Amino acid sequence: MMKTKEEQKKVFQELLVPELPALFRTALRMTRNREDAEDLVQEAVTKAFAAFDRFEEGTNFRAWIFKILTNTFINNYYRLRDRQKAPSLEEMEDETSFQPSFEGVTPEEALLNTLTREDILRAIESLPLEFRAVVVLTLVEGFSYKETAEILDIPIGTVMSRLHRGRKLLQKLLWEYSTRKTDMEKENEKGWTAKTL
Amino acid sequence: MDCKDLVEKLYFYLDGEVLSEEERRAIEEHLALCRKCCERYEFERLLWDMVRHNGQNDHVPEALIARIEGVIAQF
Ligand SMILES: [Zn+2]
Repeated sequence: MMKTKEEQKKVFQELLVPELPALFRTALRMTRNREDAEDLVQEAVTKAFAAFDRFEEGTNFRAWIFKILTNTFINNYYRLRDRQKAPSLEEMEDETSFQPSFEGVTPEEALLNTLTREDILRAIESLPLEFRAVVVLTLVEGFSYKETAEILDIPIGTVMSRLHRGRKLLQKLLWEYSTRKTDMEKENEKGWTAKTL
Repeated sequence: MDCKDLVEKLYFYLDGEVLSEEERRAIEEHLALCRKCCERYEFERLLWDMVRHNGQNDHVPEALIARIEGVIAQF
């Protein structure tokens, strides 16, 4: 049965509205810029509605619209300057193992206690795009490996290997932020003790 | 299942990716018995929960919602 335009709009809106927060934050992580993120969401929504008669009702709307969002991002927003800004993988993955030293708590506990939301977002946004996309879709948005593969048009094996490396990179960055913070605290404490004595 | 097998399967388990009933049971049994893997699992679980929780915590600006509504109205 053919739907009228108004009926189509209503169905579209009902499916879309619950996904807006996830679409917006994913756009933010991709563009790393609020203004671009808002434009990206608007553009993706416009494209999605234009293609909505090809969407099969009852199938995965969330994965469908995320695919439109990520494609729109790669085609229109992933500018050369972003590619140049991303640090090289070798740079990020250098295997300098560092031994965080903490007192009283395990390094893992210290990491979990010192990390803030800003650290986590900064770390995610520092990942090169191919890893960032997989990390955001699976680990933040909860898409399965298979759904992520379909959204990004890559084989599931690639999703798994990028996720593996993405996780390693993210952990490495978080350890660095946390170690830096703990070192700074130690410095401050030293300064304080010196002053009061 | 030994510690090496566990590490290999840990992320599948954490991500809720399909594992056979048998594999899942083997992981849970190993975690119950092996302190080292259990600690690793707890750490990874807390860390990735933190990443998910913080990553989902952005507010959609009212202005964007209004913009989207305006766009839909014009379709
Ligand atoms: Zn073990």
